[in-house]
Amino acid sequence: MRVKRLLVLGSLIVLVLTLSLAFTNGALGYYPLPLPGVRLLASWYLYTTLNPWYPMFTVMSPEAVTAIVWDYRGLDTLFETAVFFLAIVGALALMRGVSLKSVLNNGGDKDKGGLSLICKTATRLLTPLIIAVSASIALHGHLTPGGGFQGGSAAAVAPLLVLVIFSVYFLLSKGVSEKPMLILRTAGLLGIYLTALVAVLAGLLTGLNAYVFQNQPKSSAPIGLPAQVSNTLISGSLFFFNVFEYLAVAGGFTLVFILLSIPEEIAKSFISGESHE
Amino acid sequence: MNELNTFLFNIFLFSLFFNVGISLYGIFARPSLIKKIIALTIFSDTANVLAIVVGYREWPSPEQPPIPPVITKVEPSSEDLRQFVNQAVDPLPQALVLTAIVIGLAVTLFLVFLTLQVYRLYGTTDVRRVAKLRG
Amino acid sequence: MIELNTLTYLFMAVAGIISLIATYLAVLENDLVKAVIFSALQSTVYTILFYLLMAPDIALVYIPVAVGLYPAVILFLIKKTERTESDLKEGRGGSK
Repeated sequence: MRVKRLLVLGSLIVLVLTLSLAFTNGALGYYPLPLPGVRLLASWYLYTTLNPWYPMFTVMSPEAVTAIVWDYRGLDTLFETAVFFLAIVGALALMRGVSLKSVLNNGGDKDKGGLSLICKTATRLLTPLIIAVSASIALHGHLTPGGGFQGGSAAAVAPLLVLVIFSVYFLLSKGVSEKPMLILRTAGLLGIYLTALVAVLAGLLTGLNAYVFQNQPKSSAPIGLPAQVSNTLISGSLFFFNVFEYLAVAGGFTLVFILLSIPEEIAKSFISGESHE
Repeated sequence: MNELNTFLFNIFLFSLFFNVGISLYGIFARPSLIKKIIALTIFSDTANVLAIVVGYREWPSPEQPPIPPVITKVEPSSEDLRQFVNQAVDPLPQALVLTAIVIGLAVTLFLVFLTLQVYRLYGTTDVRRVAKLRG
Repeated sequence: MIELNTLTYLFMAVAGIISLIATYLAVLENDLVKAVIFSALQSTVYTILFYLLMAPDIALVYIPVAVGLYPAVILFLIKKTERTESDLKEGRGGSK
């Protein structure tokens, strides 16, 4: 049925071209596309993102998108992190009790299996490069395009490569198993929690007013995090949020991949109750 | 020349709408659970592209494109900031799409684990055969 | 020569048409591994579109997530369950 498929594709493309021709010549009225100018809210965000002349409204970060994600709309990001956390809890609950520890026979498995020698040598060269690039994306999130989530998902590609090209037993023998990744993820989430509360704690200790998720001093809350550390811009809490989000996301994805790569016979024997650990 | 630009932009917009239509057909009509998951990811990605198209702006002059919302001078003056506001793209849809990508990823991961459990219990991932079994 | 803004809009239109072809082939393919490869091709075209629409943050998220992580997770799932999807015409009939 190749001919039928090609005919349907060709007619879809012709339909797209005809509809756009009709729309350009005024079938539904004349609208200027794309629109000139930006909205009022967007011009406010763009004007105050790095503006030392408005010290009560600014974020002191030249990157507008990271400032919106962690400062202007920080509570949205808090609930997004909660949804991601619940998904990983659901995945862990569906695979509870299943682990590969009973099958490992003290490091004898880690050298067999996997792909050819060329793939293994190339992966040995590439894995430190991937981790270095992802750390650079995460740490520069307040100055260039990037941030915590971008760096974390790029860093999760490296354990996936090692898992596919070597074997899952090799990855477990290097110390990257379920419990250390869960500890890494929990440390990242605790870091985010503490960074959100730092301004409130400092306000409690000195008796001033302060809000949760506060970054720079505002007009009714005169205490905040510093925007510069010896002439380098760290934009207050944005730097710390990026670092902890990087650790949390990388740990979470690696955990899901280790759980997904357990072979089906071992998982079935745990679930139907034949093996005990 | 302006008409040609609008025509090309309309081709791009209509192909996005047809992507939405084809992926909705894939979710409703194809019988395999894995095909439904693939079509759902295509649908959510197309919705994200539509959200970012809303934030695009017209070119300030035919030789000068709009710039992404990042300030590139080290110490900007007041005049630099006004110039930046007149040339930059809207940053708010980009922040919302970042959140939407993370939530879509979390839902897809959970759906994958649920499909694995359905296969373990019923032995098939074809929804018509699962419906005939009646639990 | 062609002006810069017409060239950019031409790239956007061509990328839109290629993504339409890749989506159609991904939804109507019976072999699920080929459908995942078409879906990854469509995500690459979307990354080019995000770059042309001046959104570098989203392009940086989209490459590892939609070209690396989604196909990897779905390929793990295909390995553990079935590889081909049956046609729309079989499976009907039989007692109910």
